[in-house]
Amino acid sequence: MPSQLKTSGSDDVSMDDAPTSHQPQQDESMMDQDEVEDDEENDGEEEEEEEEEEEVQRVKLLPGSTETAASFEFANEGHTLGNALRYVIMKNPEVEFCAYAIPHPSEAKMNVRIQTYEGTTAIQALEKGLADLQDLCDVVNDKFLEARQKFQEQNGVTA
Amino acid sequence: MDYDPMAMDDAESLGPVVKISQADSVRVKFELSNADISFANSLRRVMLGEIPTIAIDLVEIEENSSVLADEFIAHRLGLIPLNAEGVESLLYSRDCDCEEYCEHCSVKLTLHAKCTGEENMSVSARDLVPSGDRMNQNLGTPVITDSDGLGPLLLKLRPGQEIKLECIAKKGIAKEHAKWAPSAAIGFEYDPHNKLRHIDYWYESDPKAEWPPSEYADWEEPPAEGEPFDYDAVPNHFYYNVETSGPLSPDGIVTEGIKVIQQKLAMLIHELTEGDGGDGYNGPRSPEYNSGPDGGFGYSTSYGGNGGNQSSWGGGGGSTTPFGQTPFQGGNSWS
Repeated sequence: MPSQLKTSGSDDVSMDDAPTSHQPQQDESMMDQDEVEDDEENDGEEEEEEEEEEEVQRVKLLPGSTETAASFEFANEGHTLGNALRYVIMKNPEVEFCAYAIPHPSEAKMNVRIQTYEGTTAIQALEKGLADLQDLCDVVNDKFLEARQKFQEQNGVTA
Repeated sequence: MDYDPMAMDDAESLGPVVKISQADSVRVKFELSNADISFANSLRRVMLGEIPTIAIDLVEIEENSSVLADEFIAHRLGLIPLNAEGVESLLYSRDCDCEEYCEHCSVKLTLHAKCTGEENMSVSARDLVPSGDRMNQNLGTPVITDSDGLGPLLLKLRPGQEIKLECIAKKGIAKEHAKWAPSAAIGFEYDPHNKLRHIDYWYESDPKAEWPPSEYADWEEPPAEGEPFDYDAVPNHFYYNVETSGPLSPDGIVTEGIKVIQQKLAMLIHELTEGDGGDGYNGPRSPEYNSGPDGGFGYSTSYGGNGGNQSSWGGGGGSTTPFGQTPFQGGNSWS
């Protein structure tokens, strides 16, 4: 990955060098490499190793995250998971703040922001939220099967 | 971090409650209470759009002398509900090792009809005959519920006309195309007396007189005369009406829906915990989650995959159902 040409592509590019459409693209790729340090190494490897995999990583930690305040990006998720997850994470008393957003409707991405109090991390809170939501699903499933059983007994239905 | 997620507020201390008010072979009506609207809505969304079923996705037409165009018939075939029993053991075509399709990721149906009589002939879903190896004897069989046992009408033939074709039914979800929807409709409502003011009724002079009460109005206390607006109130009782179009039983749709949510979560948990050993969450991921051997984690959404949509221009005389090639197949605007 070439990280060398940063200087030439900096803010004051002369406009005659390249068509305008070229410049933002260049700038962006440079910025990415600078900011998302921990992404860099892996991205390179992934591209080489798994050319066929279109979607390798479903959850990404967004840049600028700290231990207790982090933003996660979920690929291929939407309101279905986002809102329920937000609710369950917010139920955790150690979580100060949790919200989700879908930054753009035509991108299949969902962002979750979690801020916790001291004593736990945002990542732990996310993992706990996922597990809790799964437990909630279990309970609702059990209750539904129970209710179905009861309904069938009451109405003398078999099968 | 020890707290009981089920025991929170007073209203929710009991945990979720489910009450079934009506159930038969086509619909189940139930009430979910002591749950949050976000979860209730997740369940609704997942039942509508993300339960895997099976539908005809590829049609090879050998002979069509009917008055209808090939693609018209292909589209109609796509919309025929097929029995989805045991679809969980079927692979998505894009995850399968085969070239185009095989018995692990598809079910083959054939249709051959010729009008030899004097009268026009009706060809219906009954005439679609599953052939070849199948996971079980029901998977992919057209759903027939009418009293004559014919199923939906596909086309009509005049004397001498003939139709001969082969269909490939594949697994998919309704988020990609509505033909994979297991439900005909899902009713969802809460707060029948509109105490929360989530609805702003249009009216001539008196909304109470002009709007019929909800079918669930008796299930909840009507607001007392002159009751002040409770700005702390949140919806707590949700009324579902799940109607199947045939592929799954109505209660099967509900349990499958919950399963789909859980598979989503399991996949994410799997991915997160797997990454814990490495450097945060950016460690390389194994692609296993798409086709985990344990089946439980085998869920993958269908968007972005091209495997499910073959172009009709490749095979001679073949044509897919027209929606297999919409420009929408890559991105999902409905998420």
